[in-house]
Amino acid sequence: MTPPLRIIVVEDETLILMQIEMLLEEAGHEVVGTAVTRDEAIALAVETRPDIAFVDLRLKDGSSGLEAARGMRGVAGLTVVFMTANARELPDDLDGAAAVIPKPFSESVFGAALPFLEECLRRPPPGSPPPQGVRLAPWYIERHGLVLPAGGA
Amino acid sequence: MEADEAWRLTDRLQAEHGKGDPFAAAIRATRMAMVITDPRLPDNPIVFVNDAFLRMTGYDRTEVMGVNCRFLQGPGTDRGDVLSIREAIEGRRDIAVDLLNYRKDGTTFWNALYMSPVVNEAGELLYFFASQLDVTDRIDADLRIRTEKADVERQVAERTRELMQALEARTLLGHEVDHRVKNNLQVIASLLGMEARAMEDPRARLALRTMQERVEALGTVHKQLYQTADATRFDVAECARAIATDLVQASGRADIHLSLDTEAALFPAAKAQPVALMLNEVVREVLRPAIAAEGEGSLGLVTRPDGRDVRVEVMYDGTGSAEAPSGSGLVGRLIKSLSRQLDADVEWLPMGRGTRVTIRLPHGPAAEAASA
Repeated sequence: MTPPLRIIVVEDETLILMQIEMLLEEAGHEVVGTAVTRDEAIALAVETRPDIAFVDLRLKDGSSGLEAARGMRGVAGLTVVFMTANARELPDDLDGAAAVIPKPFSESVFGAALPFLEECLRRPPPGSPPPQGVRLAPWYIERHGLVLPAGGA
Repeated sequence: MEADEAWRLTDRLQAEHGKGDPFAAAIRATRMAMVITDPRLPDNPIVFVNDAFLRMTGYDRTEVMGVNCRFLQGPGTDRGDVLSIREAIEGRRDIAVDLLNYRKDGTTFWNALYMSPVVNEAGELLYFFASQLDVTDRIDADLRIRTEKADVERQVAERTRELMQALEARTLLGHEVDHRVKNNLQVIASLLGMEARAMEDPRARLALRTMQERVEALGTVHKQLYQTADATRFDVAECARAIATDLVQASGRADIHLSLDTEAALFPAAKAQPVALMLNEVVREVLRPAIAAEGEGSLGLVTRPDGRDVRVEVMYDGTGSAEAPSGSGLVGRLIKSLSRQLDADVEWLPMGRGTRVTIRLPHGPAAEAASA
């Protein structure tokens, strides 16, 4: 049994944050902290050194999830996954993040993304195909030698 | 010196037009202002002017004879034009130039100056001959047109900038509203999901899950609409794929597989919401008996564009046949109402095992697509 993934969630919409925490815990992972602003998020990542950070693009007080993710680059072994209702605000290379889950996402999409990310982190290369509804960064696809399903995500 | 003599002769006969040299008389009488200067004398002075020149400039003959023409210039005269004239004189070339000149009383006029050297047969330079025409009206009109044109161009540029700003504001507003709609759909779905988790009664939980899936189906298709620049159409295939994937995954059954055979089929965006809801209801109904029954099976999804219409097939090949949902239940009524709204045909085809449903989505009249 592999140890649970240690995850932080950066999301300023409380109800969505609650839902994500629930989904992560149901899947057996550990939410080591949550943050609602860029600075909180960076401090949290540095302090907890998680495996995955789920980061919303628009944070509290108008701060930016992109900047939060940039500030987390120094944390070794951290995979950043954006969640956003404005996927078009993201550059094509996702600015160093592994993936983006566009909002609104269904619980199924989020649920399917978790085992995939876990495989990428713990047992690369992943055996299962990239989940539908999740857009992976080109560098992440290349690194893991992934083949995208026909029709894309 | 014959030419020299000729005009001196006519000068003496100035009141008697037509006598002496007829050419000199003509120059004297014409309405075109004319001047002759003698470059062989110091400072190239005027040696002849006609009456038209005196009328145009307001000077007396005695004031201008023996004087260089530059007295016509003033502070508003273009230095470049003056330089061109000087170069033409030095180079013994003719020149035509519109020059701002000054009358004796200080008022200005635009002078269409034409000046040419006069040489004898030996090639010696004798005179410069200059004609002047008051073209103030034409130049003023030109200037006015140029000013008006510049003014119109400025107004157009200003209006264009305003429109660009308005368009930018509208685009920003559109993105903002889109963002809020998506966030709200996510919040509603997450509330339903959390409420379902809290339910102990499995029937209440199922009802909440069903509602959550409906909201998620709406979210899925809304998200699709704004992924592309063309928000007027959406791809039925992509919508159906996402919904079928979600529902199969939500079943929690690893032995129910998904078999996709979808071809992109664009449809008016105005129909996105009822199409997504109907596909959600049909796929869930097809899966319901399969989930209740044991055993492996595959949910097949086929989408095909058919002219401007779209055909969708939903099949299940395992144990668990789904009947057409009863018209009295909510699901049956939803499918029926949505079919009526979309003018769609939904057929539940009998199968020995599993279920097969065909859906025909008519595109409708072209006008509807345009207004979508």
